[in-house]
Amino acid sequence: MYRTTTILGAIALLAACSSKKVNEQPIMENGDRVPSTEVTVAVAQEQVNRDRAIAEQRQGELMADALATCSGAICEAVTRGEVVIGMTTPQVLAATRTTEDAWSIRQSGNATVLAPATRLAAPSDAVGELALVQLRDGRVMTYGYRESQGMRLVSNPSEATTAGVARSRADALIREGDDYAARGDLDAALDRYDRASVLSMDDPMLEYRIATVLDKALRPIEAQLRYRMFLHRMELERIDAVGQAYANIAAAMVHARERIIVLERQGR
Amino acid sequence: MVRSDVGILARRLAVVPVALLALGATAACGSKQVSRIDPNSVTDLSGRWNDTDSRLVANALIEQSLTGPWLNRYMQSHAGEAPTVIVGTFRNRSMEHIPVTPFIRDLEAAYVNSGAVQVVASADERGEVRAEREDQQENASAETRARIRQETGASYMLQGDITSIEDEENREKVIYYQIDATLVDLESNAKVWIGQHRIKKYIERPRFGS
Repeated sequence: MYRTTTILGAIALLAACSSKKVNEQPIMENGDRVPSTEVTVAVAQEQVNRDRAIAEQRQGELMADALATCSGAICEAVTRGEVVIGMTTPQVLAATRTTEDAWSIRQSGNATVLAPATRLAAPSDAVGELALVQLRDGRVMTYGYRESQGMRLVSNPSEATTAGVARSRADALIREGDDYAARGDLDAALDRYDRASVLSMDDPMLEYRIATVLDKALRPIEAQLRYRMFLHRMELERIDAVGQAYANIAAAMVHARERIIVLERQGR
Repeated sequence: MVRSDVGILARRLAVVPVALLALGATAACGSKQVSRIDPNSVTDLSGRWNDTDSRLVANALIEQSLTGPWLNRYMQSHAGEAPTVIVGTFRNRSMEHIPVTPFIRDLEAAYVNSGAVQVVASADERGEVRAEREDQQENASAETRARIRQETGASYMLQGDITSIEDEENREKVIYYQIDATLVDLESNAKVWIGQHRIKKYIERPRFGS
């Protein structure tokens, strides 16, 4: 009896310790055939051709509608593929070479907002990726681009010119630089101001910002140079005449002069 | 008596080289058997990665990518225009040598033949094309010259990797392969599609022999 129990126990122990074998049925063996993808490709081809034909037909209709109802600068913009103020919805779709499927269109009263249906494949015009288009009474009033500095809005024609775009991008970079300066990251702030100075070359306040950051970053020679450039640009006589409106700039000028004196003395 | 034993031994020893020679001659004259077989047939010999695995991966990735929502989404946003894909790097992170070119070519062929996706020459391939175009600017007639700076920029890059996990004990071996393919938006870095195929092989070696 004792021997039997011992043997059974030993067998149970062996069974517990040995690895478990799972007998799975093979799903593919020698001699089987790998299915061809011809059917998948053919189905995709058929689907794509059908969808493309529908989209192209709609795009053609929109383009015809847009060009039939446009005039002057708007016609040129549609042809260039660029959204401009004053366009109608079909003209926006024609300019962006899209159909209604690409947009989520919301209407409220006399206002319409076109937002990309998906951010993963957002529509774009010749300038960049559009983040939204706002229409009032059926005409584009404002539109915005998603850019690396953030959203850039265009609400009047001057903002869509090369100079306007540069100014807007410089403003965004200055905002970013100010943010870094406030957080104490002077190198990053200087980098943004430097980039902004390429786009906006005649901005004395930008020069003042750069000078201040260089001063704070203990780079006195460069700071002195920038303060001088700021003063040179300001053209003192004109500022004196302008009065209160330029009070802040005048204060900045006083500060710049003081700093030049201090930095010069330190340099001696 | 002793002399006759030595004679027998010498005669027997003389047989050995003759037998070996005969065996060698037989082996040399025996014809090798080669047959053309269906490329779609499954032929597993060693259990390592082979053409069947490559085909299965290609089939799965073609099916998944051509039916994925990314394609429809792109076409809807671009009035039926096909997205442009460039093939990036497919890393082999397994311990085995796995040629990735066959299934990438299968995938490219499916993209181009279906018309659903436009494929542009990869970084490795375009060098030769650019050199030819440069050469044409000097040597080809004006009307047949390929224009420069007219390349199509890709919207997405196809990247991927192959990983494998092996488990072995005595005569049994299990190999698991996982193939991941991703389409990455070149502007936003967003992964718009992820395809995956898994293969698990159970290999049982015979008790005797290799």
